[in-house]
Amino acid sequence: MSPALNVNIAGIEFTNPIMTASGCCGYGEELAGIFPLSKLGALVTKTITPEPRLGHAPPRTAETASGMLNAIGLANVGIDRFISEKIPFLQKQKTRVIVNIAGKTIREYVDIAARLNDYDRVDMIELNLSCPNVSQGGMEFGADPGMTEKTVREVKKVFSAPVIAKLTPNVTDITEIALAAEQGGADALSLINSVVGMTVDVDTWRPTLTFNRGGLTGPAIKPIALARVNAVYGKCKLPLIGIGGISDYRDVVEFLLCGATAVQVGTALFVEPDAPVKIVRGLRDYMKAKKISHVNEMVGKIRKY
Amino acid sequence: MTKPACEDTFLIKKRNLKNNYFSFTFGPYSRTAQCRPGRFVHIRLPSSDVYFRRAMSVAAADPDRQQIEIIFKVLGRGTELLSGYHKHARVDILGPLGNTFTFPRRNEKTIIIAGGVGFPPLLYFASEMAGKGYNPKNIEFFYGGRTAGEIVERARMRGLGVNFRPVTDDGSYGYRGLVSEAVEEYIQEHVGERMRLYGCGPEAMLSVIDEIGMRNNLPGQLSLEAPMPCGIGVCLGCVVPLRKGGHARVCRDGPVFDIGEVLL
Repeated sequence: MSPALNVNIAGIEFTNPIMTASGCCGYGEELAGIFPLSKLGALVTKTITPEPRLGHAPPRTAETASGMLNAIGLANVGIDRFISEKIPFLQKQKTRVIVNIAGKTIREYVDIAARLNDYDRVDMIELNLSCPNVSQGGMEFGADPGMTEKTVREVKKVFSAPVIAKLTPNVTDITEIALAAEQGGADALSLINSVVGMTVDVDTWRPTLTFNRGGLTGPAIKPIALARVNAVYGKCKLPLIGIGGISDYRDVVEFLLCGATAVQVGTALFVEPDAPVKIVRGLRDYMKAKKISHVNEMVGKIRKY
Repeated sequence: MTKPACEDTFLIKKRNLKNNYFSFTFGPYSRTAQCRPGRFVHIRLPSSDVYFRRAMSVAAADPDRQQIEIIFKVLGRGTELLSGYHKHARVDILGPLGNTFTFPRRNEKTIIIAGGVGFPPLLYFASEMAGKGYNPKNIEFFYGGRTAGEIVERARMRGLGVNFRPVTDDGSYGYRGLVSEAVEEYIQEHVGERMRLYGCGPEAMLSVIDEIGMRNNLPGQLSLEAPMPCGIGVCLGCVVPLRKGGHARVCRDGPVFDIGEVLL
């Protein structure tokens, strides 16, 4: 018997627990040139904002030890062009589509969500309450339990499919924010977004990025993400989607054991654009070898001391 | 067309050129036929602490033997690691990626302007032009470096039969000065002739060539370099501002851009 990889999050069935992380796969077009998107459990789009955004001036990425720092600044086509140019492409893809959205105000989150509610192929939305790279909105929402709860609650009123809240690790107590999102009616949580960091050019004495700081991602943040996922798993009943430095199936197993139901692969796509395909294969082989019949059997099963 | 993908190939020939320059030949590489002058391959490094691949322009491609060549200089940790690959090593290459130089019209003089480590795609371009029957005597190949030692692979350029015009800052080899000065001088001496410029090199050089092209109303293309986390157009890390507004991704919309297109 081939092990079962399908997972269910808030009533939505996914063929496997491997998703792409927002901001690491655009709107799917480039990745579709590398592998059929049907191999993914879900594609999570780049963050969509009400207006098109160019993002910050380059340089806006920097390589770090086992990872990268970025301050792209939510560059995206805006909701109008997303609907007219990107949704037609996404509708043809045989994978679940999760649209990540952000606004500068609760009103903006609500407006985008309301417009996406007209499209059946938008299986879920993910609220970016946690981008460290914008001066308004983003992380300031996700760092405030009251704002988090309110944003989720207002969005839930206008969007009928499940809503995921994406959380920032850049807070004192992420469980507090997770519980606020749950209170607001979130259907699932994805965690973590990038960790605030900085890199410096020793020749010029300037930060490497024009935004001065950025968000650290990649293998460097995996242990941070695992600890956060496990902390939230113990306190909150919502399904969790683990994110942070996942680049092979072992990383996925670690996240599942810590309490994630599914995971998102982000920065690894930059190094190995077909990483999700290899991860799914690796996970299946691992389960066969370990005689695990369903991927769910691993969720939260870490044997702690 | 075969899609770009990660492919394991082997380092079958490793040449240590002078001044920290290396030539690597990889094969068998099944996507050799998809290589074109201007396109690049994204190479995985033998390390996990340097996380990203390194983008390297293709310097030569031999579809019959399924081999490609890159030439690079050790300038930092990434290229240092890259240079550490041993002969016969298995190397993971993603590609070929990016767009290509477009060939000139037959009645145009081709002005190639290479600066330092920017010469490999132009060597490939000149060699493809020769293969397509362009008269090499109509190709002016300017190649600038700080000193004589920085001008590598001279014999190959000479072998193409092009008008090879080395330029060094200190005058130790060829024209003394900056490659852009040598090009400017050449253009002023040939006013009225149909010319097309092709440049690859440091940003400061490209910026001057861009200005020379626009001022003299000469068409041409410049190949840009940028740190590229992904190379396939998804991370938006390598963008450059466009003169008409907006950004372009060097990896996906480039690396080759028309003169006047990018705000350099």
